[in-house]
Amino acid sequence: MLYEWKIALRFLKDGKAQTLFILLGIAVGVAVQIFLSSLISGLQENLIDTTIGNRAHITITAKANSSVNSPDFEYINTPKKEDKLGNYQGIIEGLQKNKEISAVSPSVVGTALYNQGESSTSLVVKGIDLELADEIYDLKSRIAQGESDIDSNRVLIGTSFANEFNLTPGDLINLSLPGASVQSFIVGGIFDLESEALNGSWIFMELSRAQRIYGLNGYISNIEIQMNEPFDADILAPRLTTLYPEIDASDWKAENAQLLTGLNSQSSSSLTIQAFVLVAIALGISSVLAVSVVQKSKQIGILKAMGATSNSASSIFLIQGGVLGFIGGIFGILIGYLLIQGFIIGTTTASGPIFNIVVKRDNLILVVFISTMAGLISSFVPARKSSSLNPMEVIRNG
Amino acid sequence: MDDKLLEIKDLVKIYGTKIQTKVLHEVSLDINKSEFMSIIGPSGSGKTTLLNIIGALDNATSGNIYFQNKDITKMKSDELASFRNLNLGFIFQFHHLLPEFTALENVIIPSWIKHKTPTKRKQQRAIELLEIVGLKDRINNKATDLSGGQQQRVAIARALINDPTLILADEPTGNLDSESTEQVYELLRNINKEFKTTFIIVTHDRHLAAKSDRVIEMVDGKINQDYLTASKGEELWHCLAPHNCLYYQQNEGKNGIAKPHNI
Repeated sequence: MLYEWKIALRFLKDGKAQTLFILLGIAVGVAVQIFLSSLISGLQENLIDTTIGNRAHITITAKANSSVNSPDFEYINTPKKEDKLGNYQGIIEGLQKNKEISAVSPSVVGTALYNQGESSTSLVVKGIDLELADEIYDLKSRIAQGESDIDSNRVLIGTSFANEFNLTPGDLINLSLPGASVQSFIVGGIFDLESEALNGSWIFMELSRAQRIYGLNGYISNIEIQMNEPFDADILAPRLTTLYPEIDASDWKAENAQLLTGLNSQSSSSLTIQAFVLVAIALGISSVLAVSVVQKSKQIGILKAMGATSNSASSIFLIQGGVLGFIGGIFGILIGYLLIQGFIIGTTTASGPIFNIVVKRDNLILVVFISTMAGLISSFVPARKSSSLNPMEVIRNG
Repeated sequence: MDDKLLEIKDLVKIYGTKIQTKVLHEVSLDINKSEFMSIIGPSGSGKTTLLNIIGALDNATSGNIYFQNKDITKMKSDELASFRNLNLGFIFQFHHLLPEFTALENVIIPSWIKHKTPTKRKQQRAIELLEIVGLKDRINNKATDLSGGQQQRVAIARALINDPTLILADEPTGNLDSESTEQVYELLRNINKEFKTTFIIVTHDRHLAAKSDRVIEMVDGKINQDYLTASKGEELWHCLAPHNCLYYQQNEGKNGIAKPHNI
């Protein structure tokens, strides 16, 4: 160990109360940073997860006015031309090979009306391939009652819809389809997608059945895609439209611009607070070390008289700053962890915590690195003072 | 053989810029190897300033100091730091130990500076030196837990750790009682004999000066007398007195200088 380290550490150890106070100051600051950043990122991940966790990140539809999908004839109840995508098998196979994409689900989307007595509700019918759609919607694990069975004329309905009309698995429901036709279906299972709107209005059925009832044989309405990196959706979407000229691709980011703006401003305000905390920490370290240089000026003078160079004299204070920042950072992580645990315990209701606080290991390493750097940088001024100290001053004055 | 360790030529020190005080007036002096020398003189005569400039702690305004034929007044600050570390040992009136460290650590510190890191050999040497100064059973005491005499002896051991050629001592016995003073003198003398270390000691203590090989008396920034104690015989105590024989003879009657008291 270089002797500057030995002397720096001894100075810190010797000034116990002073060292402890500044360590506590740094630790509290670092703890606030960790708590705040973990809270914000937990909150944001939670929000993003609810927004896109079980949703399509990119939705592919037929290009408006595309000639590829003009059918020979039209039913009156068919969706508009641009809602129909033909020759989709090739596109799906292509998408499934793409490494950025984690799930691909073709679907037919249509509307229906359900009547019971005097009340009625309009529904969104989604024709799906259950296995493919499950990768996006987690349908199988989100069945509250019954089974995830959409064979033949079975359908899946949402919990809100089921509650409103008192429906249970096995019940028969009649849906009025566009064009005044009515078809009967059996409730196979009741899903809970954790969204009031979806639980109240969505119905899942077999893709081929939906194609039949909406007269879309050979066509689908859209392809829903989930990605490994949802935040790259706005980069992938335009690439897909170049790759397949017959499609339009819309990404979730464009559809949720307001949410993203909100998240961004939340992040930047959290960063601002953290930056000011950091400045406060740095000023604290700096002032403590500045006092310490005055207190230890006699010792520095003696060391210089015995041959310590100016560089050594300044590194003694740089080391102190760095060590204070580092150890304070480690303590800060511990206090921050306790704060987070306290928050989780305090906010946990009977149904579990409101949301998960995510503490990222990289973030912790970064915080310790930053507080060490802050310690080093804030010791520059005291170190320079120490470096320029004249041993004569000290020795002459006893 | 060249016995000269130190050659001081026309050394001038002026303090202050607006109001200038000339503390050293063209002082020239040769100091031989393994000499045990005292510098005496009234307060403000420039003896401590001379010592600090020899010790490269202070800069001369003009003049040169050749240490083994190398001019230290031309050295840069880091060179000087290394020069002090390798060649000089300091003993100050106020000991100037580092209170955060133990007696042993205080002794070793100059060797840390020299070698950058602690070594086993130097640790052993430091223990030996503390034994020489009679503090073997105090090596792990904090510097602040030692008496004044003990602290001064630690400072002496510290001055020796890097085997310096020259030891500069400023009032080494200034704060000690007569018994400790005698012990410290014996110690310095033994070191001088055993290691052939050159000593320059600034002191007010005429008893200490009388035991030196050579005495330099400074008055008003000039060397007033420079003699070997052995050459003075009975006259020695008279010469060591304040306003000594020569000075008195030259200045009798001027500026109200009184005849020296008999000792």
